[in-house]
Amino acid sequence: MGNPFVRIDAESGRITVTVPVPDTGQGVRTAVAMMVAEELRVPVESLAIEQAEGDPDTYGPQMSANSNTMQRVHEPIRTAAATVRHLLVKAAARRWQVAEAECRAVDGFVRHGDSRFSYRELAEEAATLTPGEVELTPRDEWQVLGNPAVKRVDQDAIVTGRLAYAIDQASDLVAVIARPPWIGAAPTDFDATDVRDAEIVRLDNGFALLAEDTYTAIKARENLKTSWQGGFPDADSDQWLAELEAALPTGNTPSGEFIEKIFVTPMLAHAPMEPPTATAKVDGDAVTLWAPVQAPDLMRNLLAEDFATVRVIPTRAGGAFGRKFETDFVLEAVQLARHTGKTVKVLWTRDDDIQHDSYRPLSVHRVRATVNDEGLPVWRDHAVSTWPLSSMLDATSNPQMLKMMSAGKYPYDVPGETHFAITPPPIRTGFWRSVYAGQLVYADEMFLSGLEMAHNQVERRLRLLADQRVRKVLEAAAEAHDGEPQAVACHRDYGSVIAVIAETRHDGRTKITAAVDVGTALHPSGVRQQVEGAIMDAISVAQGARITVRQGKVVQKSFGDYPWARIGDTPEIEVAVVASDAPVGGLGELAYPAAAAALGFLSR
Amino acid sequence: MHRLHINGEIREVEADPETPLLWVLRDRLGLTGTKYGCGVGFCGVCTSIVDGQAFKPCQHTVADMAEQDVLTIEGVEDHPVQRAWLDEDVTQCGYCQPGQIMATIALLAKHPDPTDEDIDEALRDNICRCGTYPRIRKAIRNAVARMKAEA
Repeated sequence: MGNPFVRIDAESGRITVTVPVPDTGQGVRTAVAMMVAEELRVPVESLAIEQAEGDPDTYGPQMSANSNTMQRVHEPIRTAAATVRHLLVKAAARRWQVAEAECRAVDGFVRHGDSRFSYRELAEEAATLTPGEVELTPRDEWQVLGNPAVKRVDQDAIVTGRLAYAIDQASDLVAVIARPPWIGAAPTDFDATDVRDAEIVRLDNGFALLAEDTYTAIKARENLKTSWQGGFPDADSDQWLAELEAALPTGNTPSGEFIEKIFVTPMLAHAPMEPPTATAKVDGDAVTLWAPVQAPDLMRNLLAEDFATVRVIPTRAGGAFGRKFETDFVLEAVQLARHTGKTVKVLWTRDDDIQHDSYRPLSVHRVRATVNDEGLPVWRDHAVSTWPLSSMLDATSNPQMLKMMSAGKYPYDVPGETHFAITPPPIRTGFWRSVYAGQLVYADEMFLSGLEMAHNQVERRLRLLADQRVRKVLEAAAEAHDGEPQAVACHRDYGSVIAVIAETRHDGRTKITAAVDVGTALHPSGVRQQVEGAIMDAISVAQGARITVRQGKVVQKSFGDYPWARIGDTPEIEVAVVASDAPVGGLGELAYPAAAAALGFLSR
Repeated sequence: MHRLHINGEIREVEADPETPLLWVLRDRLGLTGTKYGCGVGFCGVCTSIVDGQAFKPCQHTVADMAEQDVLTIEGVEDHPVQRAWLDEDVTQCGYCQPGQIMATIALLAKHPDPTDEDIDEALRDNICRCGTYPRIRKAIRNAVARMKAEA
């Protein structure tokens, strides 16, 4: 019996949860399992967990993006599980000829007095019944949801190396691709004299080398001589920065004196530990895909334009951060599978990943304010010059649209406007954790932090904050931070709010305290993990991770010159999850902007 | 034909002698717990253990591996370090964690009670892109306590 999200096998009694959204490390499998465990009153560990294929007709939207998975899925999944519970109770009540209200579902059994039936015994009969009104378990009765002791599922498989990721998918052939040596270069010709045991396929943007194992494919690429034409061999990111600065919108100017500062945020690569990789098999007008996609629903719809039968099987992703929302690496696998008639795994090597990513756009910010006698801002203006996102050009090329998307996120009670100038991207750009908020909040908070006044970094913000939720997290962070609040930033987004305090201690070590209100925290350990992870991203960027372009080419190649944080760079981090009655909020991208701004000011 | 000692077994494989051990483990022997992250020794996700020392299979060819005892994550079972990882709810995407665990096992074999500096040094080349470092550090402390209790 069951429904698309929860089913009980009448033979074995096994309860299977189908998770509609891919797990890229954000923990959706755990959170969804917790919802089902709560409503069915069984331990999380007793559940079998499956990953849904791309099938929006059955599962609804399946994207892992925009930090809204929990907001989107918690009601449908909890309702699906509560419906199963309700039907089991109904079946038991009928057998006993008693009122449903006298029966209780606990630990895999429906009980009435001293009698009980297991879910397994009831499953077949329950499947024939029509549900009435289903009640979700009220929050004050929760045992599993909101319980900070519940740990991530799948960890046994991770710590033993058994968890299979996209890169572990078996295939007939492995493909690596010789990619353009400068931006926009088109492949013209090749010389395969030194290539062994590999097939070469010309693509629009390069040459694919397919071999029976990964190393043979990599070596074939090393030995292939290629020629290219066109593109932008002189592209230079310093030049791009100057162009963006020149394109800054006029913005507003107040009468009288004002303070003005310029801020720049760098291009960033996603660099998930598992680089982009996907495996595809094409059989006539049918395609099967195994890939770490962030949007299996959109991928299915995209492939349905070309194929009559589409299966999109989301694998576990070794990190995503927005990179695996892109379709490039997936479509390469599909194209090569169609061309060869074999199962093909495309692997981006790390230098492919760093040098041919869809980068966070470069941005220039000019922030202006007038201040009162105390030095507090009473009027502000924020002009932004940046690029749109290549994968969403229509929406993000429109300055008015970006203005709308960022509206209402500035948490302080200072009147003002944000203006965008959007110029065409000279390099591929994409969603990078927190997207434009990572840039806007950085500039706004760096500016506020830099104003000279008697009020310290916490006090000045409290003076400007009318939003009670933001005030509360800032007060909670200040309370939890036993030290000097040298750098502070706040952010509100996705129905959640956060405050971050950073300090360099006398011994030179960094201490960071974050307080977060995500509304109803369903998976508190996961909340802390997401905040800790986003703070570590901010550490990396504050320490200088950035992408630059010289002579048409991304300068950085790997983790040697794209210096992501190491364990020794880890500050002392404390995360306070503030109790809240607000509805379920989003989180994955909430912490980065505030952390980046606080750490940016600390390391200025 | 290369004769390898992997996880206490002798495995014979045909491969180009220049093939990095990483790809032999993954593509020929099906030991996919050893991950690919960069191929140039900067990221540590392939970290394994050879003769008790942390070792990067992407940096050594299969031809160099004769007579060396290689331990991969598949050869580690119910180790206190793995249990500590579960206790501290360390993982997010999990991709780097077999490497982090192997680096930690090698560290604790050498330094049963490591300082923070020992940890920073031993795991310097093991990147976690999800930022689980605070929990990794806690898990290492947890593993130290477990191993002391078991000793």
